[in-house]
Amino acid sequence: MDLLLLATDQNTPFNYFPIALQLVVAIGFVIVMMVVTHLLGPKRRTSDKLINFESGIPSVGNARQPMAIKYFLVAILFVLFDVEVIFFYPYAINFAELGWEGFKAVLLFVAFFLCGFIYIVKKGALEWEE
Amino acid sequence: MTNLVYLVPLFPLIGFLINGIFWKKMPKSAGGIIGSLAVLASFCVSLGIFFEVKSLPEGTVLPPVELFSFIQSGSLNIPFSFQVDALSSLFLLIITGVGFLIHVYSTSYMHEDEGMVKYFAYLNLFVFSMLLLVLGSNYLIMFIGWEGVGLCSYLLIGFWFKNRDYTNAAKKAFVMNRIGDLGFLVGMLLVLLNFGTLSYQEFFNALPTTQVAGSTYNWIALCFFIGAMGKSAQIPLYTWLPDAMAGPTPVSALIHAATMVTAGIYMIARSNALYNLAPAILDFIAIIGLATALLAATIAIKQYDIKKVLAYSTVSQLGFMFLAIGVGAYTTAVFHVMTHAFFKALLFLGSGSVIHAMGGEQDIRKMGGLGKHMAITQGTFLIGCLAIAGIPGFAGFFSKDEILAAVYGHSPVLFALALAGALMTAFYMFRLYFLTFRGKFRGTHEQEHHLHESPAAITIPLVVLALLSIAGGYVGLPAVISEHHTLATYLSPVVSNIGAHHLSHETEWMLMGISVSLVLVMIAVAYNVTKKASFAPNTGIAKVLENKWYIDELYDAVIVRPMAALSRFSDKFVERAGIDGLVNGVGKTVRWGGDRLRLMQSGQVGFYIFVMVLGMVALFAFSFILTN
Amino acid sequence: MKAIIAATIIGVVLMFTGILVKEKKGIATLAAILFFLLLGVNIWELSTLDANQPQAFFNNMLRIDRYSVWFNTLMTACTVLYVMLSGREIQKVGIHVSDYFALMSFMLVGLYMLSGYSNMLVLFLGIEIISIPQYILAGSDKKNLKSSEASLKYFLMGAFTTGILLMGITLLYGASGTFDIARFTFLQADSLNPMALCGIIFLIIAFAFKVSAAPMHMWTPDVYDGSPTPFTAFMSTVVKAAAFIAFIKLFHISFNSLSGHWTMIIAVITAATLLVGNVTAVFQQSVKRMMAYSSIAQAGFMLFAVLSISATSWQGLIIYAVSYTVATMGVFAVLMKLKDFTYDGFNGLAKREPLLAFVMTIFLLSLAGIPLTGGFMAKYFMLTAAVEQGQVLWLVIFALLMAAISVYYYFRVIIAMYFKQGSPEMSSPVTAGDRLVLVATAALVILLGVAPGLLLKFI
Repeated sequence: MDLLLLATDQNTPFNYFPIALQLVVAIGFVIVMMVVTHLLGPKRRTSDKLINFESGIPSVGNARQPMAIKYFLVAILFVLFDVEVIFFYPYAINFAELGWEGFKAVLLFVAFFLCGFIYIVKKGALEWEE
Repeated sequence: MTNLVYLVPLFPLIGFLINGIFWKKMPKSAGGIIGSLAVLASFCVSLGIFFEVKSLPEGTVLPPVELFSFIQSGSLNIPFSFQVDALSSLFLLIITGVGFLIHVYSTSYMHEDEGMVKYFAYLNLFVFSMLLLVLGSNYLIMFIGWEGVGLCSYLLIGFWFKNRDYTNAAKKAFVMNRIGDLGFLVGMLLVLLNFGTLSYQEFFNALPTTQVAGSTYNWIALCFFIGAMGKSAQIPLYTWLPDAMAGPTPVSALIHAATMVTAGIYMIARSNALYNLAPAILDFIAIIGLATALLAATIAIKQYDIKKVLAYSTVSQLGFMFLAIGVGAYTTAVFHVMTHAFFKALLFLGSGSVIHAMGGEQDIRKMGGLGKHMAITQGTFLIGCLAIAGIPGFAGFFSKDEILAAVYGHSPVLFALALAGALMTAFYMFRLYFLTFRGKFRGTHEQEHHLHESPAAITIPLVVLALLSIAGGYVGLPAVISEHHTLATYLSPVVSNIGAHHLSHETEWMLMGISVSLVLVMIAVAYNVTKKASFAPNTGIAKVLENKWYIDELYDAVIVRPMAALSRFSDKFVERAGIDGLVNGVGKTVRWGGDRLRLMQSGQVGFYIFVMVLGMVALFAFSFILTN
Repeated sequence: MKAIIAATIIGVVLMFTGILVKEKKGIATLAAILFFLLLGVNIWELSTLDANQPQAFFNNMLRIDRYSVWFNTLMTACTVLYVMLSGREIQKVGIHVSDYFALMSFMLVGLYMLSGYSNMLVLFLGIEIISIPQYILAGSDKKNLKSSEASLKYFLMGAFTTGILLMGITLLYGASGTFDIARFTFLQADSLNPMALCGIIFLIIAFAFKVSAAPMHMWTPDVYDGSPTPFTAFMSTVVKAAAFIAFIKLFHISFNSLSGHWTMIIAVITAATLLVGNVTAVFQQSVKRMMAYSSIAQAGFMLFAVLSISATSWQGLIIYAVSYTVATMGVFAVLMKLKDFTYDGFNGLAKREPLLAFVMTIFLLSLAGIPLTGGFMAKYFMLTAAVEQGQVLWLVIFALLMAAISVYYYFRVIIAMYFKQGSPEMSSPVTAGDRLVLVATAALVILLGVAPGLLLKFI
């Protein structure tokens, strides 16, 4: 323990000793656990055990099916706008302090936001059927 | 007059622009006239400048004429300015004077060629660059001219670009010159680094006072000399010059005999203050010069192409000039540059006249007895031969005698070797003369039928140059005849002549006697040898000479092929087999499998990122080694 | 700052133009006019900025001085030139013409941020703003598999590098507790914090990727080759210059005192870049791919500006960026007129289109660094800066050697045009307007070679 405390005082590569230690422990733990379970556990292979487990429902078909590109487009647009909304939270908390100056800034932000929205609508990105 | 110096390069530039822009639409004769007039105009201005510099009181050096500020950054200031002094004004006269004659000659020589106007455009551009080279007041301007003449030389060697060999010769010249240029550039950077200037005057003034390591002078001097080796065709970079004969003959006369190839001499003569501080490099120059002079002379003995003989003779004469520089006789080297410009231009133009008459044939084995048909060409060619062989009374005698005397003062052994070179010169030149103009005609009947003297535009420059080849030597009479050396006095403000040894009059008479009598013997030998020439295939040493000591083959085997192999290796194994092969291999297999795009790309990008990560690891390892 | 706002608005305006206007030619004309206006805004900003008084914005996250505004002005001018040179080719790429111009406008916003940042967050923002439009432009020729491939590759590798960049920024923040590039505290310590050193190396790697320096150059040939040619011209010039100014700014302003730790690393990268770029370019059969390798080689030369910290290197960066950009744009403009991008495609061009061959020769001479062209002055400044710095003389000599090699592959094009027989197929006719702009561009290249001082007047 003294060793670890000592290491934090100075600015040397030794600082990273705890990290290295943790790394070793983490990897070691995983390896040990995998090896030990393999050695200790009894092995009974049945056909039921070898099929994929999907929440208790029998699996249907292949998971790797082609999907409509529209689906991804909408998904990405959703993420984009969703993330931008997060900016409203800090504004909401500091609403009073920021005053009109802040309000103008947010208004500008929303305006840009709206521009993007109008753009994707006009471009037809949200039309599911052509 | 000196403030009008910018006119000198301006006229050829205008000529180049007119010919270069309108070359498709202009009549041929107009191109020739514009080209010649442009050079004539700058010759007139050069004459004025020359006489003004001559009339200056002794020891005055004019300040550079600044045109505009070229580069200004921090403490570095490089103006675009011209240096007018004895050395540059002399070179101006040579370049524009000989240049003008060759332009006139070309109007007739190139008349049949459809690209004549383009030819004159290139020729004007060459004259412009060459003038820039000698006029610049700092190394950067010189370098710009230096590259410019290299480019023009490339364009003109490959002028008849439909022939593949010719374009290869052009490429060879360019590459060889670039190797030399590299030396020059490094030298310039070293000067900049140690002295913070590129201007001649500032640099030479700073030389004695600046505290630098002693070897610095040697390095700079060596780098500059490497540049000179490339441009002035010295061992080991000389092989491009004989190949450069692929260009039209007037080009060979102007660029590859009279002017461009002497740029190296000019550069070193200009930097004489530097070279005086680097005696080791001077010795090195003397050895290289002498070796080149001898090697080229031996090769010239066994060549059968009229222009090749002259080309090797040029290499050999350049070697003599460097020998003179090597023993410290800068003025003498410049003197030889001048006389050589006259008689070698004469010889080349004369050979052009012969080739013209022979309908393009250059092999002297198929000539003979031409003197009967073309008296003026024969007479002027003979004068050229007498001049280069060093017969008293002709220009070459004075300058060559001065070199030999300076070398004797330095070391009698060097003198003996240089004398051997001079004798070989006499031999191969007269062998050429006798084979071409004397004896019986050995070509076809058809060729004989066409033999004729060339028109006036060709013969007049020949006559003028012949006169110059006689008179040109009298500006530098040997000390035994006159104590007043006109040229040395003229050049003295710019070029010191530390190598001038004062030999006693008896020694000097003796040296002259030896060389002249031996030269006469060599001419007689040449006459006898050519009389019973059989042209059987050569064997033994003669075959080695005919094949130029196999130097080209050696370079090919030692430098060109391994380089090509290395590049091919890196292309084939590193790039194609290693990276592309791996990636494409994965990609192709998958392409046929069906699901191609996804896997092919993941394969490739994965590999790229793998290389990036490897690079990162290497950089981290490197910095780790660096800090510890 | 005015320019950033203007460029953003122009970008948005162009985005909506595509919805309202369907005619491609009209859009291109409008874009040219708007970019010209943007150039005007830049000049206005330049004229109002006091030479000794940099302006700070956003709590000192953006600090704009004469140098950065002048750099912006020049690069905007290059963009105007680019739109004039290849406007017609951009119209041919696909149907979303207005979007392409809008993306370029946004890229200019990124460039303005990169030339003026003084905070690592703005650096990150700028690099992303300039990168993401590149991914899109690379894949804009949707019907072409190679284009999509280029886009995806570039995106994946770019994303990977973004991670590295962020890692570097994080480590620097960890070592000093600030994002302000002028206030890294670890600089004051006696010995260098290893965390900071790792951060610096991560940043070098990220920048090396952005400027396509070895060994992070692998994406360059594929992406430049696969992208539609007009966009290759833009990506390999203006965008690269932007990455370079960000690079030099950070390392000269912040890590100046630590140069002992990174000079050699960058020197090694420079040497590797020069080697890979030049040697591989020799063996390309396609001029477009050769230009991709040539851009790697030229990046090697520009790295000299980062390597040697002096006033000359800042000046050299401007001269190099402008002369390289102008010459490269010229080469691509000529290239786009041809159908076949291999060397054989150039055979006999001098016979068929003498003017095109002539200006192409000038551009190539400039790229090879022959005197009296801008390229020579640019290389001269770079090498002078390195010589002044004095530590890496070996690299200078190596660079000169590599410059000599570069003559080979540039001259191959000239030889094909002038000395070989053939009749090149043109993809589009050469109009009088094309000729005018090309000649003007060539004249500019020569002007830069004769009077490079013009570029340094306004710093």
